[in-house]
Amino acid sequence: MADDREARGAQPRIISGGSLQEAELGAAPDVAWRAKAERAESPFAQGVRRLRRSTTALIGAAIVAVLLAVALFADVIAPRSPIASDQTHTFERPSRDYPLGTDQLGRDMLSRIIHGSRISLAVGVSSVLLALFLGVPLGMISGYYGGRADSLIMRAMDLILAFPIYLLAIILMVIFAPTAGLIGTMKVTGAIAIVRIPIYARLVRGSVLSIKEKEYIEACRALGVRDPWILLRHVLPNCLAPIIVTTTLGIATSIIVEATLSFLGLGTQPPTPSWGWDLKANVAFIQSNPWISLFPGIAIFVTVLGFNLFGDGLRDALDPRLK
Amino acid sequence: MRSIRPVLGLLLGTIVLLGGTAARPADAQAPKRGGTLRVAYGNEILGMDFYTTPGYEMVWVATNVGCGLVSITPDGKFFPDAAESWQISSDGLLYTFKLRKNVLFHDGSKVDAAAVKFTFDYVLDPANRANMRQFLGAVHSVEVVDPHTVQIRLKQPYAFMMHVLAVYRMGMIIISPVVTQKYTPEERRAGKPEALVGCGPFKLVEWVKGNHLVMDRFDKYFEQGVPYLDRVVIRTIKDPVTQLAAFKAGEIDFIADFSADHVDSLRAQNPRVQIMTGKETTPMVAMMKVTVPADGKPMSKDRAPHAIFNDIRVRKAVGCYGIDRKEIVKIAYKGQATPWVGIIPPGTMDTVDVNHLCPYDPARAKALLAAAGYGPQKPLVFELMTNTEKSVFNVIATVIKEQMARIGVTANIRLVDKPSWMTTATQDGAFDMYIEDLASLLTVDQNSYLSASAAAWNHSRHVDTKVDDYYARYAREMDPVKRKAIARELQEYSADKLYWNTISGSPFYQVAQPWMKDYVYQAEFKVQYRKVWLDK
Amino acid sequence: MRTYILRRLLQIVPTILMITLVVFVMMRSIPGDPVVALLGDAYNEEDAIKVRAEYGLDKPVLVQYGIWLGKLVQGDWGTSILSGRPVLKDVMIRLPVTLELIVLSMAVALAIAIPAAIIGALRQNTWADYSATSVAMIGVSIPEFFAGVLLLLIFSVGLRGTLPSSGWVYLPGTCPMIVCTGSLWGNMMHVLMPAVALGIGRAALLTRLLRASMLEVIRTEYVTTARAKGLSERPVVLKHALKNALIPTITVMGLQVGFLIGGAIVVETLFAMPGLGTFGIDAIIARDYQQVQGFALITAVAFVVINLLVDLTYTFLDPRIRYA
Repeated sequence: MADDREARGAQPRIISGGSLQEAELGAAPDVAWRAKAERAESPFAQGVRRLRRSTTALIGAAIVAVLLAVALFADVIAPRSPIASDQTHTFERPSRDYPLGTDQLGRDMLSRIIHGSRISLAVGVSSVLLALFLGVPLGMISGYYGGRADSLIMRAMDLILAFPIYLLAIILMVIFAPTAGLIGTMKVTGAIAIVRIPIYARLVRGSVLSIKEKEYIEACRALGVRDPWILLRHVLPNCLAPIIVTTTLGIATSIIVEATLSFLGLGTQPPTPSWGWDLKANVAFIQSNPWISLFPGIAIFVTVLGFNLFGDGLRDALDPRLK
Repeated sequence: MRSIRPVLGLLLGTIVLLGGTAARPADAQAPKRGGTLRVAYGNEILGMDFYTTPGYEMVWVATNVGCGLVSITPDGKFFPDAAESWQISSDGLLYTFKLRKNVLFHDGSKVDAAAVKFTFDYVLDPANRANMRQFLGAVHSVEVVDPHTVQIRLKQPYAFMMHVLAVYRMGMIIISPVVTQKYTPEERRAGKPEALVGCGPFKLVEWVKGNHLVMDRFDKYFEQGVPYLDRVVIRTIKDPVTQLAAFKAGEIDFIADFSADHVDSLRAQNPRVQIMTGKETTPMVAMMKVTVPADGKPMSKDRAPHAIFNDIRVRKAVGCYGIDRKEIVKIAYKGQATPWVGIIPPGTMDTVDVNHLCPYDPARAKALLAAAGYGPQKPLVFELMTNTEKSVFNVIATVIKEQMARIGVTANIRLVDKPSWMTTATQDGAFDMYIEDLASLLTVDQNSYLSASAAAWNHSRHVDTKVDDYYARYAREMDPVKRKAIARELQEYSADKLYWNTISGSPFYQVAQPWMKDYVYQAEFKVQYRKVWLDK
Repeated sequence: MRTYILRRLLQIVPTILMITLVVFVMMRSIPGDPVVALLGDAYNEEDAIKVRAEYGLDKPVLVQYGIWLGKLVQGDWGTSILSGRPVLKDVMIRLPVTLELIVLSMAVALAIAIPAAIIGALRQNTWADYSATSVAMIGVSIPEFFAGVLLLLIFSVGLRGTLPSSGWVYLPGTCPMIVCTGSLWGNMMHVLMPAVALGIGRAALLTRLLRASMLEVIRTEYVTTARAKGLSERPVVLKHALKNALIPTITVMGLQVGFLIGGAIVVETLFAMPGLGTFGIDAIIARDYQQVQGFALITAVAFVVINLLVDLTYTFLDPRIRYA
């Protein structure tokens, strides 16, 4: 209650209730930890229960699940190869043979969209995970140890954050030189990940800062518990909820950034199927054959919506006071 | 006066499409004076200095702001511009031009023989890095005979001297000695109107890069009554969707370079649009790299053979028999282009159809590959580079990739942006084959800077001086019949050696609203608004 | 606190220097340089070497940066190698366009968010609430370029050119060029679609934020007292809840500027607007080093300053956060 901060609309944080105070004092470290763990479980379990009841979160989860399935089983689901062009069937209207029509090179759009989900999801998820694995440790070190490490790390994070997200991603992609296939996708993933790292670093650092001064941490230290242990077992669980929420929403943003980069011609290059690229390449033909450009756009929209709904639901579930 | 009669009749015609039922009345309408013409370019103007800026976008401004000695009709006939008459000596070495007395620069000063001489001296001076200099190789000197008579002396006969003056790039447009010396190249490039005076029908008012370029009627233009337009405003709209939307809404009157891919969409949205095109004068090439620098240093004189395409058998297998040019044209251009093998594009002077030298023959291609040591045990893999400037490049690359698969060859497509492509291609960078359309050619003589063995733009980096010989003989032959024979030899030789591998012509489109009248289509060579008027 | 502010202000300069240095170095690590494009058809090695020396491109990168910096402190932002145009002049011409676009996008976002938040707060957990938040959620899931394309198709191609598809008309009196028509109506017509395309994505976060803040206020005793006194709900909510929500909203809007600048690049490209977004991306692709530096400088300054203001606001609201 005293730590109530969500009114400012900053990242919501789970602050365990005041009941921790009793557990901290005078208890052996393992007991203290166990007691804390028990109490920390409960809001979490409550959160999961709330999640199950929230319709938006369930819809979002369903969409995400379907998309993951589509991406994983793309080879099986797609009726044709997404890069095989058939010159006798260009610009076909949607029909039995070609449910979403074909593009300028006679490629089946349905297959391209199914396979395109791989690029979008791969880039979306892995860029965020990469940013996570690099950003969270940086944030923890920065917040916990403070001093010069903090200064240095935050300076670097500020540097990245000082760039508008697209500007940095664009310059990075021009340097990496966009290519097709797996390497091209990795380049896009790397570019987006670099841009996202500071978000996680800052998030974690903020959490760490507010926890660091708590008495039970000092008690742990006084009792000789080693730093990494403290970080891992005590500090990290408190940041978990906002990290999860930010990650899910971050995937949505990454997918949009990837599509935008493709739109600008800087994403994974053809012939690898990519929603952003297909949208851009086919949008001028929209009067004669709208499907081939609208459907990639709708695919992007639905995917991002799914992650956003799910992430929003998570946020509501894990920090109910925001409702 | 010796007249030169190139065969350009068919080439640069105008096709006007009318969807309406009523027939147009014959062009007996009197031009209306006034109005602003709103033009859209698909690419940015890179700079405004006439003689050092690359790209057509600036040329199309220069042909309206500047005037040259002579100009050229779509049929290839020369007519007077700033010069009212001219004479060519019988040995072809002396060109004498008599200037009109009433030609003025936009700042009011007279255009006289001294200005013409200054122009030539300026271009010929290597320190100025003028891009027209490479075409004036035959010029010995330029002399002032009297204030209104200027004489160009050549070192040897040059069949295309008049073409250089009239139409290579923007032609030799006359610049003012006073103004050129007063302002710096930066100021010219930046578009400072006072620094860019010419003697053309329009004067530059302002250029704000990314915003617009504005030209106004020059009241003291030497030809009476023209131009009819008060003003021309040029904007750059890169995205085809936005171009289509702007055109449909009537926000622009004319698109100077419209993408071939979207002609059908445009026609569907605007039944009364004027879509102008002609026989292709730009080649679409699949250039194969023939040599690489032996010591790894770009542009090194020491050459080593390219690992794949130095072998003529592989070049023929891949570039000659392995590519189905008809199929490419059908898919990429919906049949609206000409499959072509010759080094001279279908619409260019002295072109010859040598398609029979490279029929589509996958069996023969496979046989040649086998002879060169490639086969199922050792499959041929190469990289096909192209750039994102035009979407059609990627389409063609994809089709070629398919065709290569049919003969057991794997082509991996590498898409780069234009500046990267230019750097790689021009600076002896690493590539196997690229797809691009290069310069538009009125005559193949304009090509020598691309494919002669010592030329910087010889991207295949071949070292065959026989090509240089052909170009030299072609340029010196004054008899049109003999010249055509040399052209035929060059094209057959080129198709045989494949240092230069044409796939098809690359069609060029310009589109205009129905109320824009009397625009004369001359492909990329002349985009002029002198006689244009708006029927509004 | 005061020392903290001072320290942050001092930190601006090195931050901006670092950003411009990083961009400087990054641009030069892209393969290709402007000289190839500059010489075009007339390209040959000797001229290229001469031109590179003329423009100092053959010097070590850090030396080049030092030269750029030296000119900068004298107020000279450099001249583009490719177009010969002074960078500062072009930046100043383009700045108002992007500024207007960003400000109006935020206005659009607020125009969506405020009603949605009010509905959500007043009719909490009803269908109205869910629809309002859903609208905002949909907005944030559409990429800016797709929204722009849809708007373009509906209003420019579809409805026979109701709204112009491209270009720009300056506000009266602000046109920096010789030839222009300043017109409020024209300006509004040109900025409407881009601003909407850019703004709808930002509405969702603002809606959620405003709604939460307003709910906070609604729960406080002040409102309960007012209700008990018989005052009608709406003026109470509007007056106090919105006021309370304003500060965090401004904070978040400041943080959103990054997305807005990036989104502006895409929207300006699509609608062919002569703003800083097209300036930047054209410069990057064309390897126009000086223009990219100008673009980086101005966006860095804007960004850093806004971030600082946001951080300061944040600190005021929670003095317990001690920044070590």
